[in-house]
Amino acid sequence: MKALIVDDEPLARRELRRLLTAFPWVQVVGEAADVDEALEQVDKLAPALVFLDVQMPGGTGFDLLAQLERLPRVIFTTAYDHYAVKAFEVSAVDYLLKPIEPERLAAALSKVQAAALAAMSSTLPPNEPASKQEGPLEQIFVRDGLRCWFVPLREVSVFTADGNYVRLQWGKESPMLGRSLVALEEKLDARRFFRANRRQIVNLDYIESVEMGLGGRLHVQLRDGPEIEISRRQARQFRARMSV
Amino acid sequence: MPGVVQPERASAGANFRNHLLYAALQFGGWGLWFWSQASGDVLTGEASWREALTVWGGIGLIGLWLTHLLRAASKTHDWFALSTGALLGRAAASVAIISAVLCWASILLTLTVYGSPVTRFYAYIFHKLPIGLQILNQSLAFSSIVILWVVLYFGLMSQRWRHRAELRQAQLNEALQAAELRLLKFQLNPHFLFNALNGVRALIADEPAKAQEAVTRLARTLRYTLAAGDAELVTFGREMEMVNDYLALESLRLADRLDVVREIAPGVESVRIPALLMQTLVENAIKHGIAPLKHGGTLRISARVADKHLLLEIGNPRPVDVDKEPNEGLGLRNASERLRLLFGPAAKLELDLLDPARATAKVRLPK
Repeated sequence: MKALIVDDEPLARRELRRLLTAFPWVQVVGEAADVDEALEQVDKLAPALVFLDVQMPGGTGFDLLAQLERLPRVIFTTAYDHYAVKAFEVSAVDYLLKPIEPERLAAALSKVQAAALAAMSSTLPPNEPASKQEGPLEQIFVRDGLRCWFVPLREVSVFTADGNYVRLQWGKESPMLGRSLVALEEKLDARRFFRANRRQIVNLDYIESVEMGLGGRLHVQLRDGPEIEISRRQARQFRARMSV
Repeated sequence: MPGVVQPERASAGANFRNHLLYAALQFGGWGLWFWSQASGDVLTGEASWREALTVWGGIGLIGLWLTHLLRAASKTHDWFALSTGALLGRAAASVAIISAVLCWASILLTLTVYGSPVTRFYAYIFHKLPIGLQILNQSLAFSSIVILWVVLYFGLMSQRWRHRAELRQAQLNEALQAAELRLLKFQLNPHFLFNALNGVRALIADEPAKAQEAVTRLARTLRYTLAAGDAELVTFGREMEMVNDYLALESLRLADRLDVVREIAPGVESVRIPALLMQTLVENAIKHGIAPLKHGGTLRISARVADKHLLLEIGNPRPVDVDKEPNEGLGLRNASERLRLLFGPAAKLELDLLDPARATAKVRLPK
């Protein structure tokens, strides 16, 4: 597994590199000292795992995540401000306190390994290319105000355009994402998500019932609340999709 | 705290003196009143000594006893801690009750002893007055003595109580300041500590000599911080030794991003400054100025003496974006509060932020 170390302190990077030599399946492909360098490295090296320091000059680890299109697995490393990491609404991430204890590192890595294996066996059908770069987005990092989330996209019931932003309906939360609906649609898994109308994309797994509306429109009731209207133009496609 | 316990203990002796004073005034006052009333009845009221002494002795003893009860009640229920209005209300009620009791006791006594509400001679003078007015006359006379008692006692007591409250407040402030000082000093950043430990861990394998040196410096820094709880002031030279250790550890972490320039004028070393003052300023400069800058920068420390004052300056570059401004300066605020507690207005700490890309902390201390 390719890993990138992002930390502004050379000694901290050196120490983590040495600790990682005990895990031959983790291959450290690069290092970065700040957010800009890290962005470059992620683009170039496409690491599957990033060790990410929280406090760095010129931006925090969260700033990096907010700018990444495709999220690698993330393990935060921090000396003291683990509160910042704990601020995550859902701890889809792990964090390590510096100085890093080898046992804690091993535990975090085995979690990463288990998650990677699970993803490998469940989501990739045999007929599709195994390259994760080409597959649809599975998870996004959302930062709305001071709160941050790793949102698994299959848990989002509906995306609603709101100006240049997109509001996610995700359980009880509805964070805003700083992208346009069109840009997001391209990255979504077309087998799961359906463009219902000009402003909304709906998660087909969340549909509870469908009713006929006026003028060939459809009214879709979602499992966690809102009712969505499918425009006439899209309704035909929807019927075709659902009857298959 | 010994400073708080002491006045309590001292008040045990003072208490005895107060009781003695009260007893003297109480017996003296009522005795004097009893004597003037009784002798008045004998000399101008044509009563016999035996009759007058019985009547006024009885009334005097009742007055003495009732006012003593009032004193006890005011003490057990802390009347003097009440608001002025509440105290005045209680005073008025006490006056009314005690003078009424005195008045009726006197009527009973004089009726039995003299056979009329007053002596026979006075009865002759007053006989044209209706009995109601006679009683009113009596009760007014009794009220005035009770009012005098209440005004004197309550006045003295509330004044003493206020004095004591002020004293207690002053002691409390002092204790609070001592506690605050202790708290304000302990600002060694845990972030620094753990990062330093992490750095040492990294050095152990490749550069053991450097690791040993770092451990020594870290131990010295910690020991200094802990010892700073005992001494308020240290020499500038001693403080700088610690700051140098601290900076060496920070350089370990920041590598070539941290550059330090020292301009220490001769004669500054022995000036006494608050312990950890320089450390706080240097830490602040690194945390908010140099560490957030990608390429770091130069920390300037200057110290000199000018017209009986020590002038310290710690300058550093800082990130230009101003979003994070409100976070800045908790350490500085603490340092400035400490200076105020230690030196009063003679000391000054200010942060010069005129240049958007630089910050300079300026301290002026009496030498």
